[in-house]
Amino acid sequence: MLRLVARRARAQWPLLAALLAVAVVGPTLLGACALLLTRTAEQALETAASRATPDQIDVTAYTVTIRGEHARSVADDIRAALTSALAPFATTTAARASSAMRSLPGAGVPAVAYLSGVEDLPARTQLADGRLPRAGAAPAESVVLESTARQLGLTVGSRVSLGRELADDPDQGIEVSVVGIVRPLPGTGWERDPLAATGYDLAYRDGRSAQSVHAYGPFIVDLADLLGGGSTLDRLEIIAHPDLSAPDRRDLDTVTQVVLGADRRLGQTLGDRVRIQRVASRLPSTLLAAHDQQRVTTAAVLAVAAIGLVLTATALALAGRLSAGVRGDETALLSALGVGRGQLAGASLVEAGALAVLATAVAIPASSALHAGLTRLPPMAGAGLATPFGVNAAQVLSVAGGALALAAVLVVPSLRTSSGGVRGRRELLARSGADLLLVALAAIGWWQLHDQPTSSGSPVDTVRVLAPALLLIAGSAVTLRLVWPALRVVERLAVRARGLMVPLAAFEAARRPQAVAAGLLIGLGCAAATYGIGFDATWQRSQQDQADLSVGTDLALTLTAPPAAGQGPVVGAASGGEVSPATDRGVAVGQWLGGAGDPPRLIAVDTTRAEALLRGRLNDGRTWNAVGTLLAPPTRAAGVPVPAGAALSLAGNATGPTPLTVTPRLLLQDATGLRTPCTGAPIPLDGTAHPLPDCATAEGLRLVAVSLPLAIATGNVGTGHSDALADPPAGDSRVAVTLTVAGTASGASPWTATSAGPAPGQLGNPAVALTSTSAGTELRMTTTVALKGPPDAARNLVATAFPAPGPVPVAVSARFADEVGARRGSRLDLTVGLTPVQVSVAEVLPAVPSAPGAAAILADFDALSRALAVSGDFDVPVDAWWVGHPARGDAADLRLGSVTTRASETARLTGGPLRAGLPAVLRLLVPAAVLLMIAGIVLHVTFDLRARAVEMARLRGLGMTRREIRTVLLGQHVGILLPLLAAGAVVGALATRVVAPLLVRSDTGAAPVPEVLPVWPWAAEAALLTGLLAGCALAVSAVVVVQARLADAAYLRVAS
Amino acid sequence: MNGGPLVSVRGVHRRYGSGATAVHALRDVTFELAAGTMTALVGRSGSGKTTLLNIIGGLDRPDSGTVLVDGTDVTALDEDGLSLLRREKVSYVFQTFGLIPVLSAAENVGAPLRLARVPPVERERRVALLLELVGLAAHAEQLPAELSGGQQQRVAIARALAASPRLLIADEPTGQLDAETGLSVMALLRGVVESEGVTALVSTHDPTMLALADRVIRINDGHLDEHPGMRSDGQLDGRSNGRGDS
Repeated sequence: MLRLVARRARAQWPLLAALLAVAVVGPTLLGACALLLTRTAEQALETAASRATPDQIDVTAYTVTIRGEHARSVADDIRAALTSALAPFATTTAARASSAMRSLPGAGVPAVAYLSGVEDLPARTQLADGRLPRAGAAPAESVVLESTARQLGLTVGSRVSLGRELADDPDQGIEVSVVGIVRPLPGTGWERDPLAATGYDLAYRDGRSAQSVHAYGPFIVDLADLLGGGSTLDRLEIIAHPDLSAPDRRDLDTVTQVVLGADRRLGQTLGDRVRIQRVASRLPSTLLAAHDQQRVTTAAVLAVAAIGLVLTATALALAGRLSAGVRGDETALLSALGVGRGQLAGASLVEAGALAVLATAVAIPASSALHAGLTRLPPMAGAGLATPFGVNAAQVLSVAGGALALAAVLVVPSLRTSSGGVRGRRELLARSGADLLLVALAAIGWWQLHDQPTSSGSPVDTVRVLAPALLLIAGSAVTLRLVWPALRVVERLAVRARGLMVPLAAFEAARRPQAVAAGLLIGLGCAAATYGIGFDATWQRSQQDQADLSVGTDLALTLTAPPAAGQGPVVGAASGGEVSPATDRGVAVGQWLGGAGDPPRLIAVDTTRAEALLRGRLNDGRTWNAVGTLLAPPTRAAGVPVPAGAALSLAGNATGPTPLTVTPRLLLQDATGLRTPCTGAPIPLDGTAHPLPDCATAEGLRLVAVSLPLAIATGNVGTGHSDALADPPAGDSRVAVTLTVAGTASGASPWTATSAGPAPGQLGNPAVALTSTSAGTELRMTTTVALKGPPDAARNLVATAFPAPGPVPVAVSARFADEVGARRGSRLDLTVGLTPVQVSVAEVLPAVPSAPGAAAILADFDALSRALAVSGDFDVPVDAWWVGHPARGDAADLRLGSVTTRASETARLTGGPLRAGLPAVLRLLVPAAVLLMIAGIVLHVTFDLRARAVEMARLRGLGMTRREIRTVLLGQHVGILLPLLAAGAVVGALATRVVAPLLVRSDTGAAPVPEVLPVWPWAAEAALLTGLLAGCALAVSAVVVVQARLADAAYLRVAS
Repeated sequence: MNGGPLVSVRGVHRRYGSGATAVHALRDVTFELAAGTMTALVGRSGSGKTTLLNIIGGLDRPDSGTVLVDGTDVTALDEDGLSLLRREKVSYVFQTFGLIPVLSAAENVGAPLRLARVPPVERERRVALLLELVGLAAHAEQLPAELSGGQQQRVAIARALAASPRLLIADEPTGQLDAETGLSVMALLRGVVESEGVTALVSTHDPTMLALADRVIRINDGHLDEHPGMRSDGQLDGRSNGRGDS
């Protein structure tokens, strides 16, 4: 029998070569997928880790209240613990410590100050004067911030005596010498300074007393001096940064586990030497998120591999059936000669086994080459995943397993014995049953996908892997059933034709139902290819949508510190786009604080430029401009221009015997709409003009609001400290305050005076008038103060360049509306910071930009700050700069915070190392499907025409020319191809519509926000279908031309 | 009913292959067929019968010699000319019936009429007539696979007559039929020759069929066994069974 197999192989080598070529495709695809899931996946994880930002992988140990004698040992132990936790990765640490507050005796008012030690000071500060401190000097050398130096009148060489610590522990004061003056560099951790690097706070409350004091600092000394100087440390934080430039996946997994337990171990190590300790790191969550994302990608890659296998199996089933047909006579002869079924099966198995071995031998290097080539193309090359040619065990096993499974498919038709009509009926029944089973399985798969909000936690999500393949094959099988009736209709129409060619082609197409396997392969191949393109487009679109919504704008610069006046134009110049300050923070809605760790988000930007600034998909054809129009105030606040360096002064008087003070706060707006407060020291209303601090620090500022909290003067008036009396005097005082902005003239824009809460009745008849004089612009504010009343009543006269806004119109996310039960017109109370703001719901959106899936509120920044301002709250929350249409990429150089762009987020989502495998493998599916389809068509047409060679000769005998025969054959095959391709395209479109949105997952494996919209890229699909039709027609034409040429008398002679 | 020669074959040679392995299928074959006669071409398998029929019908070309069919030099025709010849003047009946499997009996019969672009009404009338002639009117819608061998061959004959050819070539038309059915098919052929006035050249090696032929030509190893002499009327004289006019 082996000799028979060998001889047959020699005689039928073209047939076997064709089978081998088809059999190689599936295992090759499988091998490439195996390499993607093993070698590339590991590399992707390592690459992702190496590209992680410091905040994603740094491990920070926070400790609070460390007595002086333990400071050094605690710091050493923390460093050792962190370094150990991150082993084997090389780790660098950076420490920052601040002492407990000490009294500052020389300030003239109750004041405190503190010491700090910061490692790598040159990288975190810019020296303005002097030099940086050295360790071990006596007295200790220090540098101070410019603002501190200005407030305390310090210069290089100054000596400052710090008194005892405010804490209970008795301790001696210390003296420091100022050797330098520095500016804090943004983005270098100064937001964690006790005063956030502002240098001073004239209303500091340390929690021990209700009375506020002046606070100054930091006095930055060498860290070693601070740790060894005996000062109690209020806070000590040490950041450990692991070097993940060349990570190993196993080491990453180990470190993740160790870091998760680091907090407990550090607590045991430090014992009671510290009051509080905590280890925080995003490293474990970063790596877990990477694993989650990898699972999502794995499922998609396996789904493509499954489709490829199904396609190959169909092609092989077709090839097997055709070859069995070709060998039918031979098999019958062998049977007649006494060869048993077992022997025939044995021969088939030997042949299939040999084919499997050969396919494996070819597919292993082919899949390695395919994988290596794939990784050198975008997007994988861009993701840093380029890989050299290589082989691994998983790949070999996958290829061998796939080849054997496919060989089994190949051998089945050859094992069948012909039994005429019984077999036909049995096959028909089996086919019907298989179709029904496929449809049922596909329906279950779809239902599972639809019902399953997130990917399963298992490494391989079976539903996601099998559902697309099931749906495609079930759809193809069902539509195949519809193709034949359609051809029957064509046949009935063709009967009416007068000539022979059209009817004959139609009859041949409609009356040859044995081409089921070929039809299934063509339909499935077309469905897989169109689905591959559709899914890719859907996935790309979803990633784009997710990036749009998660960033919310084109460029978001998230600030690490509150912005200074005039920062907007600087950001605008660096980015070259439309700039708006943005609020992005959690708020309370009435008593509702949202879910666990997930407070309602308030997003506020300049919505007058919504179309330029806001990104994210809106539904129902709405535009961001339309939404913005609902939210923005009708006119901008004009205010009073304040030229850079302009002198501001304030003079006021109060009637009656009770001396009053006012602590003026000015709200200044820059060209981008940023509103920043400028606070002066308490000023007595004594009729004299008092200069205000330097508020006009930038060009283009406008004064848009003034807050005048009035207080009864104490003995501290004039020293910058005021206090309410415990027992206020009775009666009213008529107050008039004039704010002069020198050197400007302002139009008669309307100003409004109000009495801010919480006890607005304490001020009567608030009024404001704007006048322009030769000296500048004067803002005269008057009111009557009721002196009697609750001591903590604000008595805050607020003048604004805009009317009281009323409820702030907001747009809320659908989730917010669901959770709060809000709808258009609903009125809600938000608490922004500590200030209540009433809002009215003007619109419900699918999601709010930058808050995908969150319960979120979108407001106009101007409207929100107006509402806060009339409440006396000038601390308008600004968390970021949003930039629309940025023309330059210099915003990051400002070092104001982290920069995220929509483009970079899109690139991360579509081409990041953990995701690049998905689009890459989808692009592999399309050529594989086309290749298999065309191979199947060539096989089918060749076998079909060979089998019909005699028939073609007879047609010639009837008088048909070769050209007419070619036309008939082409018409027949193209006539079948067209509906099959159309059916495949319909199945591909359906799969894209029904399954693709359910398969696209977010980073976490959850359904993405915004909801995935299926995309059917008409141009690409049309090009594919045209190419497919052309390719198929070309292949068919080639075969037909060759076969028609052979249709001559020789066949008639053979037949006769 | 018989006129001048419809078919004139002169000095036809046909060789397959070359060199030592060359097979001489026909060697200097010369004969004529009178119009309206039924001629039996007999010989052993491999004697060259099918080659001769194919050359006369324009399915094959001779290496030398000429074949005139109804005055047309078949050997001088190009592919299109040969197709036209087969479409208009020459019809075939094959041993294996040669029906198109996907066409019903009526559609098979109508195929030559479609090729001739006969209007549908006339085509259907002619098809019905021919099926009636061959006794298969009741089987018009059946596919070849649903018919017996004899019925298939009757359909093939009807199809061959559809376009009213001048020459009907039948290559072993009874080769796959049992004796009784074969005889009835030959009788049918005989009948249509008489009723339709067509000239028939039928190859067979069944002696019982020869009685139905007007004339018998024997071929052996590419030669006509008996070179018929040229008659005074210009026709070649073959061996006659006495039914013909020669």
